[in-house]
Amino acid sequence: MSHPAEGYLEAIGAEPQPFQREAWSAWADGQSGLIHAPTGTGKTLAVWGGPLADAVDRPPRGLAWLWITPLRALAVDTARSLDAPLEAMKLGWRVGLRTGDTSTAARRKLRDAPPPAMVTTPESLSLMLSYADADRRLGRLRGVIVDEWHELLGSKRGALLELALARLRALNPGLKIWGLSATLGNLDEAMEALLGPGRPGRLIAGDLRRDIEVETLLPPTVERFPQAGRTGLVQLPGVVEAVARAGSTLMFTNTRSQAELWFRGLESVVPWPERIALHHGSIDRQSRLEAETGLREGKLRCVVATSSLDLGVDFSPVEQVIQIGSPKGIARLMQRAGRSGHGPGRKARLICVPTHALEMLEIAAARRKMAAGEVESRLPLEGCLDVIAQHLVTVALGSGFREDSMRAEIGRTRVGRSLSPAQWQWLLDFITRGGPALKAYPDFRRVERDDDGVYRVHDRRIARMHRMSVGTITADASLEVRVKGGARLGHIEERFLTRLKTGEAFIFAGRALKLERIRDLTAWVRPAGSNKASVPRWAGGRLPLSTLLAGSMLDLLADFESTRGLPDDAGTIIPLLDEQKRRSALPGPGRLVAERVKSREGAHLYLFPFAGRLAHEGLAALLAWRIGQRQPRTFSLTVNDYGIELVSQDEVALTVATLREMLSPENLLEDVLAALNASEMARHRFRDIARIAGLVFQGYPGRQKAARQVQASSGLIFDVLSEHDPANPLLDQARREVLEAELEFSRLSDCLRALADRELIITEPGRLTPLAFPLWADRLRGQLSSEKFADRVERMLARLEQEPRRSTARSA
Amino acid sequence: MRLTLAGQRIELLPEGAAWWPARETLLVADLHLGKDQVFRRHGLAVPSSVLDGELERLDRLLTARPARELIVLGDLVHAPPEPGEAWPDAIGEWRRQHDRLEIGVVIGNHDRALAVQLERWSVSNLGDRHECDGLVLVHETSLERPEPGLSGHVHPVAGIRSGPEYVRLPVFARRDDHLILPAFGRFTGGHDLGKHPDWQCLAAAGHRVIALG
Repeated sequence: MSHPAEGYLEAIGAEPQPFQREAWSAWADGQSGLIHAPTGTGKTLAVWGGPLADAVDRPPRGLAWLWITPLRALAVDTARSLDAPLEAMKLGWRVGLRTGDTSTAARRKLRDAPPPAMVTTPESLSLMLSYADADRRLGRLRGVIVDEWHELLGSKRGALLELALARLRALNPGLKIWGLSATLGNLDEAMEALLGPGRPGRLIAGDLRRDIEVETLLPPTVERFPQAGRTGLVQLPGVVEAVARAGSTLMFTNTRSQAELWFRGLESVVPWPERIALHHGSIDRQSRLEAETGLREGKLRCVVATSSLDLGVDFSPVEQVIQIGSPKGIARLMQRAGRSGHGPGRKARLICVPTHALEMLEIAAARRKMAAGEVESRLPLEGCLDVIAQHLVTVALGSGFREDSMRAEIGRTRVGRSLSPAQWQWLLDFITRGGPALKAYPDFRRVERDDDGVYRVHDRRIARMHRMSVGTITADASLEVRVKGGARLGHIEERFLTRLKTGEAFIFAGRALKLERIRDLTAWVRPAGSNKASVPRWAGGRLPLSTLLAGSMLDLLADFESTRGLPDDAGTIIPLLDEQKRRSALPGPGRLVAERVKSREGAHLYLFPFAGRLAHEGLAALLAWRIGQRQPRTFSLTVNDYGIELVSQDEVALTVATLREMLSPENLLEDVLAALNASEMARHRFRDIARIAGLVFQGYPGRQKAARQVQASSGLIFDVLSEHDPANPLLDQARREVLEAELEFSRLSDCLRALADRELIITEPGRLTPLAFPLWADRLRGQLSSEKFADRVERMLARLEQEPRRSTARSA
Repeated sequence: MRLTLAGQRIELLPEGAAWWPARETLLVADLHLGKDQVFRRHGLAVPSSVLDGELERLDRLLTARPARELIVLGDLVHAPPEPGEAWPDAIGEWRRQHDRLEIGVVIGNHDRALAVQLERWSVSNLGDRHECDGLVLVHETSLERPEPGLSGHVHPVAGIRSGPEYVRLPVFARRDDHLILPAFGRFTGGHDLGKHPDWQCLAAAGHRVIALG
């Protein structure tokens, strides 16, 4: 007998693929697992086929399947694509939708008459667990499907979902859990985190050999030297041409500010400005939806987006993807490329647009790894006390829990498996009486242990506050941007807006705006005439180059060194690498290059370990501190993905031997902590932790006043705890998270250990080398106004351009 | 640091208080006592030693400068106590150790419905506005047109930058004959006065009070 999903595929004129059949039969056998395949290859039906067959065999009563999506923006589209086979099969029901955007009335309806399947987010699932009847409503679930698991993995939202899934498994041990993921370097681990350590699962590979046609857009004139910080708008004509050639284009940038700039650039050049749109995480939801619809219906020629469009939604008409700037990682580039060329017989088409010379090398390195099928890993988080604390309160608020069974349940998750008995005890103390010291938190009551041994929440005020806080895991404090007397434009992080002065202009949502005033989480703006506006910088811009990609770049450099050859698309930078080699030396997998240059600004020390910008931040601070211990100096530090720069007024005495000592992996942790203002950074990091663990309460926008009495910044709470409860493990978690998330401490440590085996060369090139120049330019950027910066860079460039010509003249 | 307000000499103390030598009076503002309790009441785990810390700081201040009178320029507490809470007793105990000190409170926005407690703590209610030797003591002043006197409420802070380092410090803010005190309570937020150039900021830092440019 043929599978019902097969019938559906036949009806739409498609053929079932082997991996889909494999998934259907695994589901029918009651297995759990993970399906990995690029987007647009039929993953959805592979995993949805199981429930479809099940629905025919055993018509469900009540909620039977949950479909978890990482982005609530995707929920509507997902529901639509799940509905299509249901309609074709005339099953007589549709999937429900429950996200943060769902109205209260609709939620009530979902509770009273639950549909057999529901699309929801990790936060909404958590919220469902916080209701007293959670056991009854969720206990009869037959299966949970987690879409885009690779996006959640490694984040606190992923950790929260692991805990919620453990809860659902405890309610129904026969529950099937399936994940959908893009290709990762550690798929086994990804599956283990999803299903819980030690549980058997089936790893199913989709059609991985999906062809991606890649092209690199070479700049019209080959710039003599690379520059960081340039927007790459010199590539605009080429990009416009590429966009005009195709029916529809999805253009990805790395940061929202870049998206804003490219959108404005395109808009001012193309003859059809009304057919391009902007899409990023801060843009108002309505405008984002319009952009998505326009793209799907083929009305828009081009949408400029950030990672906001990395996920989900099937934009079948998209012919090509353009990546502006560094791809940062291979998995990410492949995922983005996969957004194009959906549909049988069509190819994904990717155009990479380097914005400075070294990015050509980066792109060539990424293409090489793509061809070899190598991608990055994503590591699941472990031991997040803030997330576990939140989950415990959620369950106490819902069905309540007993200590032993809950301890075991959490031990069966990846995030909770390494929890020590002391940490567990602290968690219980934290949620029941604020902390372990009996007298420290008088009258504190959040969760109570009742006489029957069950932990529950009784205080209604606390229940309400907790439910309001669930789901704020990712929410960076952001302000709504509204035009005076009207439109809502979207959200911008508070950090950017509070740096602006009233009346100052900035670019947002593709417009130049002027800040009027900030009040009650709303930034009131009006259109600004001037074009001299700053572009908000969002935290996303700090994504470092992946280790895999950086390694591939070093390999390319080594190849170049031995064969003098580079892949065609990077051939244009050969003169640049020659220059680097002639003046100094080329870094490589076995060689670390340091350069010393003297200028009017002082003594410059450059180092090119290619470890990504975050690890470099730690390294720069470490080096400055260690040098400073011997020779007191004040340094200014600059880093990028390739290297670091230290500038001091007076020269530093440095030999290969002493530099090696400075780079020793010994005492790394102590020295990094001493070098960085780690406590200040941890204080900042504490923001998320305090919110997740329930130490601060944010309330909802517009309802601030009711909560004003308990308003305190997380920084203030951090100070108070540091002074009065210094052993609080959440403080320690903040310090560890700073090291890992903001400095990639393990990577730094790996890097230093690797450096110990590398050849170390210190050169004195006399002038800035092609590798040093971007660092130099970046630092000046922070010091001078943008206009002067441009002038100065131009002058410097002109000088550097002339120099080799002069030497040619001499040799002639 | 000393300054003169409407002919009265006032000394600014680095602890964030003001000393009025002619009247042997110590002035502080915005203690927000019991704020930690309000947080715990809402299930937010803030330790109670916050309150002990504030009282100890007052102790140290009074030891260094034996005063006849202590005037709080509003927001002595963060919110009135709820039945059964122990923290008002801690304040009462502290009060008994300073029984020869006169204490008066100018009523601030957080001090509403506090009459019973003030009586229990033997603290005089000075009303919304207390005039004394030509100076007006209020909780909240007009930032545009301040009268000669002292106030609190604003919790003024100012940012100080030195090279790459940046710190925010509580400050005294002065304009003409009016002085706004920093919040004495540590568990309080701050309002940056950087956008009010008419007000001169004097930072309470370490052992000194420094006028900021």
